[in-house]
Amino acid sequence: MPEFLETAVDKFIFRVATDRQYGREGVWVQECGVDGQVRLGVSDYVQQRSGDAAFLHVKPVGTRLSSGDEFAEMETIKANVGLVSPVAGQIVEVNKDLDLSPENVNLDPYGKGWVAVVQAADWGTDRVGLLDPAAYLSAMRAQAEEEVGAS
Amino acid sequence: MSRTATYHTTVRWKGDHRGHLEMGNGPEYEFSAPPDAHGSAGVFTPEDAYVAAANTCVMMMFLWATERFKLRLLSYECRTEGTKLVELDRTELFTRLHFRPKIRVAGGGEPSPVIEARVRRALQSAQKYSLVANSVKSEIVVEPEIVVEEC
Repeated sequence: MPEFLETAVDKFIFRVATDRQYGREGVWVQECGVDGQVRLGVSDYVQQRSGDAAFLHVKPVGTRLSSGDEFAEMETIKANVGLVSPVAGQIVEVNKDLDLSPENVNLDPYGKGWVAVVQAADWGTDRVGLLDPAAYLSAMRAQAEEEVGAS
Repeated sequence: MSRTATYHTTVRWKGDHRGHLEMGNGPEYEFSAPPDAHGSAGVFTPEDAYVAAANTCVMMMFLWATERFKLRLLSYECRTEGTKLVELDRTELFTRLHFRPKIRVAGGGEPSPVIEARVRRALQSAQKYSLVANSVKSEIVVEPEIVVEEC
């Protein structure tokens, strides 16, 4: 079980798992234990902001990604949300359980709701550009405050 | 993006225990209280309006949800019952809204349990994202009857 940083904005509470890193768009990246392989998923903030997931369309195994490429699209009750990979590489596994249970992205974004595993092309370089949990929390909080303050 | 919207209605006293209601979206109704509350039979009442507001809102949200969840809706009918509680101090409140939707959807190529699970998630989302259901303090109970028909 990961540990979490937590922040409240307005009536919303957002958790950030401390055992992984984050892209600025809220996609988390976690080393899998296999050399250069990383697991990708969405942060609690992204899942809350996107709404209840209806479908997850993940690009197929074998797809090559550059950093910044969309690797999946999440169709929610409110919007279609493109998920952008913060690492370059090749998709080697997708979470097939999401076909029948896309709600896992909402219910357990840091666990059962993982989306894909990527064999990173240059993990040593990409990891330097990622945010640590505290930095992501701060960036995400600023985003959430700006959105809530827009009313 | 504006995060607020306003809606209006206007009421005018017509004498005795009756009034005239103009809805912001156009329709107009004569209204009274229910007969058991010193009103008249056969006209719109605040009690009906409260239950109807929740019932219509959840249905509209469900129609949206069926589109997002890619369900082929064949029919939808929902009797909703509001339970009024008269407190010791004679104040009154709706403690519960009981929805009994009867839903028929087309099966398509997927197994019925998969479709039925998706209908249930669409219903949960409809309740969660319904403006009115989300605004009331009555307990909300949804007891669906779902039929998946092979077409």
